[in-house]
This record gives sequence, C-alpha cells and structure tokens, in this order.
Amino acid sequence: MGNELNIDEQLQEDRLDTKLRDEVPYIDDAGFTACVVQQLPSGRRQPRFARAAILLGVTLLASVIAYLITGGGAFLANAAEFLVAMPFASVCAIALLSGLLVTAVGTSAAVIKAR
Amino acid sequence: MALTDADLVARVLLDDDHHAFAELVRNHQSTVRGLLRQLTRTDAALADDLAQETFVRAYRNIRSFRGEAKFSTWLYRIAYNCFREEARKRKELVGIDETQLEAEHDPQTVDPALRHDLAQALQLLPLHERTAVLLCCQNGLSHDEASRVLEIPLGTVKTNVLRGREKLKKAMAAWATN
Repeated sequence: MGNELNIDEQLQEDRLDTKLRDEVPYIDDAGFTACVVQQLPSGRRQPRFARAAILLGVTLLASVIAYLITGGGAFLANAAEFLVAMPFASVCAIALLSGLLVTAVGTSAAVIKAR
Repeated sequence: MALTDADLVARVLLDDDHHAFAELVRNHQSTVRGLLRQLTRTDAALADDLAQETFVRAYRNIRSFRGEAKFSTWLYRIAYNCFREEARKRKELVGIDETQLEAEHDPQTVDPALRHDLAQALQLLPLHERTAVLLCCQNGLSHDEASRVLEIPLGTVKTNVLRGREKLKKAMAAWATN
C-alpha cells in the first residue's frame, strides 16, 4: 500500500517535471546575440598577424645569429658539397623519406585538430 | 561538425574569438533568458538586460571556468548572481517577509483566468523555492549542481525543491477542482 503511494507520488512528480520542462518556450534570438557581441570588450591579446610577425622576426633573427656563429654558414656549403657527391639514388631516397615524414606529421596534426 | 561548448570555450581562451563566444551565446541564450524571465516574474525587458550582463560577465571571466561543471551550470550561476544583485538593488531580497509573501500569493486569491497556467503557479512560489524548482525540475540540474549555482547547502536545495514541488502540486490540484 505504502509502496503504491510512493510510486503514485513519483509518477506525479515526474509528470510535474515533464510539464515544467514542456512549459519552457524556446526564446527566439531576435538580435540578442548580436547585442551581446557588441558589448564584449575588445581582444586582450595581440591579433593573429602581430603574433605571426613576432614569430617570423624571431626566426629570422635566430637564422642570422646561426649564420654568423657558424662562420658565414660554412656548414651549408659543406652540406651542399656532400649532397652533390652522393649517388643519385641516395638523394632520391632521402627526398622520398623526407616527403613521407612531413606528410605523416601533417596528417596526424590535421586528424588531431579535426577531433 | 558542430563544436561542443568545450571547443568553443577553448577558442575563446586561445584567440579571444568573438565568433566562438557568439556561438556559445546562441546555444544558451534561450535557457538563460527563460530562467531570468521566471526569476524576474516575467519582466522580459529586465530579464534580457540581466541575460546580456550575464554573458558579458561570462566573457570577461571565462578564464575562471575550469570545466569542472557544465558550461550551462556555470552560466546559471552568473545569471543567478546578476539577478540577486539586481534584486538587492530593488530591495526584493532585503527584509523580505516570507509569510506575507506566501499570503499574498495564495492560489485562492489568484485571478481564476490564470489558474490553469503552471507558469503562473510557479510565480506563486517564494523566490528560494521557485529558483530551486526552476533549476532542478525545469532546467534539469542535479541537486548538487543547483547547490553550486545558488551557493547554498545541498540539503537546503533538496528541501526547497521538495517544498516547491508540493506547493505546485497543491496549487494545480486546487485549481483543477475549481
């Protein structure tokens, strides 16, 4: 008897909750979001182009320093000489492996970002 | 592919992305405005002002959202705080006499034309019970989430929901028999 009463009460509560949820009408946006966005403070961070410029500047600076430290980029000339002296098949293999490596890294980065 | 709230929050955090935040506003504006309309006793203009304030505050303080609760729960908390501050300004919460309030809103004294309206029945509840019922029964928050939104003990939330429900049931039953 007591259990029946509890079940009945529970059903009544469920009905009430359902009715309460059904009573909520969807409120149309009607420009509300645009109003909020207008009131948002402007970005606190540097814009994207400024960050890109800083990264590019730092990279160039680091390249110049590396060039000067290595005695005018002598290692580049040495590497070029080494490549020229290599057999054609080896150069092709290195190019292919490098291409595959870059593709694999790019693909995994794209997959991670898309998740 | 629709972005989740967490993705959109991450974009706002990373780039101050206004478009991502606008998407969050679009996703939650109806429930936040609906809650505030119920709290302000259907004063739509005031509710919308408070909802705007809620979203602007959410944007300013988004770094304090740690993702432990749902984004909507966090928004409800800000919305409730906005409402409470406004109510304090209007002296609604200061020196309130619950007995007088309940007497004022006795279902028997309500306009018969409104008696079958559950929304009206909700408006008859005292503020603390109405808020608890709205959050838990209408917006589907757990008692624990509601206690965090309202910053009151879990037991108090449960009591308020129980009492609010009882009064709603009684109001609806009384109106049904008339």
